[in-house]
Amino acid sequence: MITGRTLLVRLAPFLACLGLLAVWQAAALALNNDSFPTALEAIRAVPAILGDKDALINILASLRRMVIGFGIAVTVSIPLGLLMGRSRAVASFFNPLLMVIYPVPKAALMPIIMLWLGVGDLSKTLVIFLGVSLPVIYHSFEGAKAVEEKMLWSGAAMGLSAVERLVRIVLPAALPEILTGCRTGLVLALITMITSEMIARQSGAGNILFNALDMGEYDIVYAMIIIVGAMGIGLDALFERMRARLVRWSEPQFDIPLSFS
Amino acid sequence: MIEIDHVSQVFQTSARRDHLALSDISLTIEERAFVSILGPSGCGKSTLLYIVGGFVRPSQGSAKMKGSAITGPGPDRGPVFQEFALFPWKSVLGNVMYGPRQQGVKHAQAEAQSRALIEMVGLKGFENFYPKELSGGMKQRVALARTLAYHPEVLLMDEPFGALDAHTRTRLQNDLLNIWERDRKTVLFVTHSVEEAVFLSDKVVMMTRSPGRIRQVVDIDLPRPRRRTELLLDPRYQKYVVDIERMFDDSGEDEIRP
Repeated sequence: MITGRTLLVRLAPFLACLGLLAVWQAAALALNNDSFPTALEAIRAVPAILGDKDALINILASLRRMVIGFGIAVTVSIPLGLLMGRSRAVASFFNPLLMVIYPVPKAALMPIIMLWLGVGDLSKTLVIFLGVSLPVIYHSFEGAKAVEEKMLWSGAAMGLSAVERLVRIVLPAALPEILTGCRTGLVLALITMITSEMIARQSGAGNILFNALDMGEYDIVYAMIIIVGAMGIGLDALFERMRARLVRWSEPQFDIPLSFS
Repeated sequence: MIEIDHVSQVFQTSARRDHLALSDISLTIEERAFVSILGPSGCGKSTLLYIVGGFVRPSQGSAKMKGSAITGPGPDRGPVFQEFALFPWKSVLGNVMYGPRQQGVKHAQAEAQSRALIEMVGLKGFENFYPKELSGGMKQRVALARTLAYHPEVLLMDEPFGALDAHTRTRLQNDLLNIWERDRKTVLFVTHSVEEAVFLSDKVVMMTRSPGRIRQVVDIDLPRPRRRTELLLDPRYQKYVVDIERMFDDSGEDEIRP
């Protein structure tokens, strides 16, 4: 049965979005500034961009780099983080390296990487890889470290080798934490994707955005921000759905989800 | 079955001082005996169990199982921990099947055996529940079934009922005794409850507080099968409990409580 209260909870996200758009619309009308189009103007420009073949190819190329960078980062970072969490030797070897990379904005490395690897896909994918790696390593590390010793002992008594314990006990036990890192990594992938294209202006969603800015097509700029934002929300919702399915065994019964799914 | 030979254990404390947890322990555990290690908290009794399990290497001395030195954990010695240590991503059935599957038992056979064990520990109907959906007592029943499932020759029980309320604890003691009296595995059982030790055991090993030494070994000569209601009224049982408590009192081992 749908009561007034559950209806309100369900409608709340849409009401928030509508409210935001209304404030935007009102502010733009009030300021009446060329560089600040109204919400309606920006939304009207969205189908124009998505209908343009060139723009669509650019956006898909961005997405492809993002997926590849994210995929490689996750594949490398999860095993590394888990190993660091269970082995002091591995942790003390990689810790200084990571601590050096950690505070550096990954986009700031872009010019150097461009010098070496050019302005093509390789550089941009590498920056995305770097951006995603650290949160995934960190959360995998924390997750692995927190695995109860007695759980590993129980596995050892059943005859699991050290490698089997890592793959079949540490990995699933740390999965909720790992996926939290991957979710942060996914959003960072989107951010580094756009910034890399902002620096290496050659193709991609970021390129469309900043070209429009140069040419004073402000409705396109805002429309691109809406498109990129929608991509972020869509990817995050998709990921959150997968995550919830994978770690159903660990979720508290009554949870307040922080996602759009 | 198990021989513990002059075992000592030294830990480094966080202040980088050496702390002697176990001092010169020698003990023999016969096959099919139910032996309890009884002592105040911090006397190293769990450490002794971990050494037999192969989870901890002794600083000095050695432990042997059936004549060969214990160098690591193995499926011949099955632990049951106070913390349950179930695999939270596996259902009750998945947890119990884990050991047999690891030993190469076929899926269908492992499932049939596991379902029978789950029924034996009184959890029929909960096969598909996840550990987070179970109470403490139920979790410990699953942990016991999970360990029994791979047929260890020795059960190593580390204060298994320590985290449970009094009522649940009593019920699990009764059920453990019923299960044990059926197939009589060798059991090494760590506890700080005098009554629990006397009720369950053939032999009670009393330990002193830090550094842990063996204070005395008491043979519990009570008839089996034991029934709680009869035993509590039995003067012999009462005398064992009182005698052991007195011995701890005399030495100022005041953390022993029934």
